[in-house]
Amino acid sequence: MLAVLLLLSLLVYLVYNLLPIDKAADMAMQEIAANKNLIYAERYLYWQRRYGLDGGLLVRYLRWLGLAPFYDGSFQGLLQGNLGSSIAYGKPVAEVIVEPLKNTLFLNLLSTALSLSITLPLGAFCAIKRGSKRDTAVQVATIVGYSMPAFIIAILFIWLFAIQLNLFPVSGTSSVGKDYVGFRAFLDKLWHFGLPLLVTTFVSLGGMTRYVRAAMIEALHLDCIRTARAKGLHERLIVRTHAWRNALLPIVTLIVGWLTSIFSGSIMIENVFGINGIGKVYFEALTTNDNEIALAMQMFYIFLALAGNLLADFTYGLVDPRVRVGGRQ
Amino acid sequence: MIRWFKRAFTGKKNLPELEAGEEIESPSRLLRQAFFSKKTALFALVLLLGVLAFVFIAPAFIPMDVNYTDPLQQNVAPNYSMRSVPRGLKRSVATIDGFSGFSVGLSKAGEAFVWGDSEDRLNKQDMKVIPEEVKQEGAAQIAAGKDHILALTKSGKLVGWGDKSCGQYGFTPVLNAVTMPEILQEGIAPESVRSIVCGYQASALVKTDGEAYLWGNENAVKNLRELSHLTGVEQIAFTNSTAIALLGSGEITTGSDSVFTSVATVDGTLNIPLNAYLVERKAVFIAATNKCVAVLTEAGELIVSGVFENGENELPQLKDGERFVALDSGTRHFVGVTNFGNAYGWGHNAYGQCELKADGKTARVFAGALQSYAVDEQGNLTQGVGLKGYIMGTDGRGRDVFARIVHGGKMTMTIGAVAVLLSSLIAILVGCVSGYFGGWIDVLLMRITEIFSSIPFLPFAMLLSQIIKYYNITETTRIFIIMLILGALSWTGLARMIRAQVLAEREKEYTHAARAIGVRESAIAFRHVLPNIVSVILVSMTLDFAGCLLTESSLSYLGFGVQQPQPTWGNMLNGCNNSTVIQNYWWQWLFPALFLSLATICINVVGDALRDALDPKSNAHK
Repeated sequence: MLAVLLLLSLLVYLVYNLLPIDKAADMAMQEIAANKNLIYAERYLYWQRRYGLDGGLLVRYLRWLGLAPFYDGSFQGLLQGNLGSSIAYGKPVAEVIVEPLKNTLFLNLLSTALSLSITLPLGAFCAIKRGSKRDTAVQVATIVGYSMPAFIIAILFIWLFAIQLNLFPVSGTSSVGKDYVGFRAFLDKLWHFGLPLLVTTFVSLGGMTRYVRAAMIEALHLDCIRTARAKGLHERLIVRTHAWRNALLPIVTLIVGWLTSIFSGSIMIENVFGINGIGKVYFEALTTNDNEIALAMQMFYIFLALAGNLLADFTYGLVDPRVRVGGRQ
Repeated sequence: MIRWFKRAFTGKKNLPELEAGEEIESPSRLLRQAFFSKKTALFALVLLLGVLAFVFIAPAFIPMDVNYTDPLQQNVAPNYSMRSVPRGLKRSVATIDGFSGFSVGLSKAGEAFVWGDSEDRLNKQDMKVIPEEVKQEGAAQIAAGKDHILALTKSGKLVGWGDKSCGQYGFTPVLNAVTMPEILQEGIAPESVRSIVCGYQASALVKTDGEAYLWGNENAVKNLRELSHLTGVEQIAFTNSTAIALLGSGEITTGSDSVFTSVATVDGTLNIPLNAYLVERKAVFIAATNKCVAVLTEAGELIVSGVFENGENELPQLKDGERFVALDSGTRHFVGVTNFGNAYGWGHNAYGQCELKADGKTARVFAGALQSYAVDEQGNLTQGVGLKGYIMGTDGRGRDVFARIVHGGKMTMTIGAVAVLLSSLIAILVGCVSGYFGGWIDVLLMRITEIFSSIPFLPFAMLLSQIIKYYNITETTRIFIIMLILGALSWTGLARMIRAQVLAEREKEYTHAARAIGVRESAIAFRHVLPNIVSVILVSMTLDFAGCLLTESSLSYLGFGVQQPQPTWGNMLNGCNNSTVIQNYWWQWLFPALFLSLATICINVVGDALRDALDPKSNAHK
């Protein structure tokens, strides 16, 4: 697990080194432009040392991790909690991403809750009524839902809800020129997040419903269900206690893994709706060559994905006593 | 590969003769039966094959110049009426004019007509709504500009409609515009007006006594202020950025701005300025396209000058004694009529707008932006050629959305297919080796798979795509690298699945049998086990194909995939990410979105049905 993280960090660092961006050279050039008396090579070396960009690739990588010292002997890497600093914002990365992170979390957690409250009952219902007309209709609808890319759904929803029905604003996170406080501010935010929320939820509906349905069908074919039926238990009881509990196992793992993946998935939604979330920060960092922020975000995504995997494994063991994580034959 | 397919789908024929009555149900046959019993899946398959055939065959018939743009055809709505001259005009044409998506016509009785894409969706105006005074009084002269129409009524009033935000008409001064002269406010006798002309957000009026007024957007027409009031003028013409005046003395002036530096005659192109060439000649007639001007001299010689991008300098060959008497010009082509009554067209001919027949009956010729019309002595419309319209409209740069959908579909599908093939290849290799051989190689390969599956797809693909932007490579290489990126990042799921399948197959009897007769291990893995799981792989590939289409279009939509001007279904939607386009120009996003969704939905339905058909459980419980 940790090895994978390390390997990936090396990979990502190497890939970022392919970008022809030299922060030290930029700074040195700026200084020379301001003061003609300075010698370029000297200033370049100074900034290289300042940013820890001198030395070989491996040394630089270790410095970035926080395992090798800078020129002045200090350690300022990831392990020390230093994510680097953004050129565009002129602030440490950690400070830059606080507000976007809040927005992204707000959007994604809310949409997860919303979509779960729809998909869990719907999927279970479809599994029970499997093969019926209603099930078929839902199946067709969900295929359409998960086949359409998020941005097309977003455009359709903007057209329908923001332009034709005029219910929501087209983009942004708060009303311009209005300083709401307290509850009004929250309502305003909710109003602005309404459309992205709808789209994010809608996008996830298809896949989730199908997954829940599959898990429930699987569970309904277990031997214990047959036994329960043979014993003459009420069908509702069978579904609610025997089947549902068993179906929940794969669903819980899915939800945990999915929670982490929506962070990278929200890049699209945040860009379409102009929401100041981490996806947008990453997008802008990439397009404006704000290298360190992009690097930090990339590591953040990888870390999230790995943590998600780990968490999924743990929850699996937690909810299902039959599974013992790490018990390899 | 072919042998696998053969064995997977026609395996029955290779089996030894069976006793009569004993039908064997091969898995692939069951698969086919289960699949073809589903009507939706079958329908989706037909639709999908239709889309595939469409995007791979149609590009051969619909040529497209990737770099072509036309500022005068921006945001044209889907319509097919750009050449439909109204019935009331067909029998008595006095004049026809057009500069962008719409054309105007004037009948001999003075009735004005507008046809084509006449709606200005941003300003909520429709050119077809002709002002009351023009309708009632009738017009003596009419002309169409890029987004405005100017008409001179029979009582001598100059009436404009359409956009006037750049001073195209109206007496209120506008920033950076030459205002319409005050003299015209109280009206002008129609007999004293020789012509009115409209250009790119500019207009001109020439009186019979040679006095000419020009007004409009001086940022669009560079020499407009300089030429705003002239005397001794015969004719005015507008290119996209210049006003040209033909003087009674036979000279041509564009003010201090000399743009015409080369001249084309019937004998070839000369590198001398137009004015130098005209020193010993007297010009009597001019017409101007976007970048060229055509001049008739008193001696009957035809000269074209300017930037020749569409073959404007390839002048038509005339018979002995035949000479042009009048010209007109569209956006990129010229039309002319000769003293023999023959009509000719030359220049840009992508829409067939130059294909006028020399029938000897033509008295006058007119050109819309991309259309040509010929009219006989009595004013009957005898010929109409050129662009009818765009079935799916045009985008913000004046490119045909339909052509781009066709070519973009080919690109999208190719990228998706290559990426899927690549990822499947990796997955098969990794899955088979890892599942069949086990041991340390399994552990190693599974670790690698874990690393690759932990990489968040979209951010990493964006990063890689951003990196290749810095390296100076051709667009084709770029597209190829994007295929590689997509393929190299998306094989992990399939590899795991194949491994699991191989693990199960490894313990079956036929593998033991093969091993017993001494088949090499690698041969067992790839030639015995693999054909048995090929149907599973195919189903998964189908679903992955849809996934790859989605990721490619998402990347392109964000601007990290295939770059403009090369179209794909994803990047065609890139420009639609604002409320103006979504609200006003629905065809620009609806059609690409429709095609992309249709393709992915069909693929998913087919793949899903295949998977269901493959799953023995789903059959047993139905």
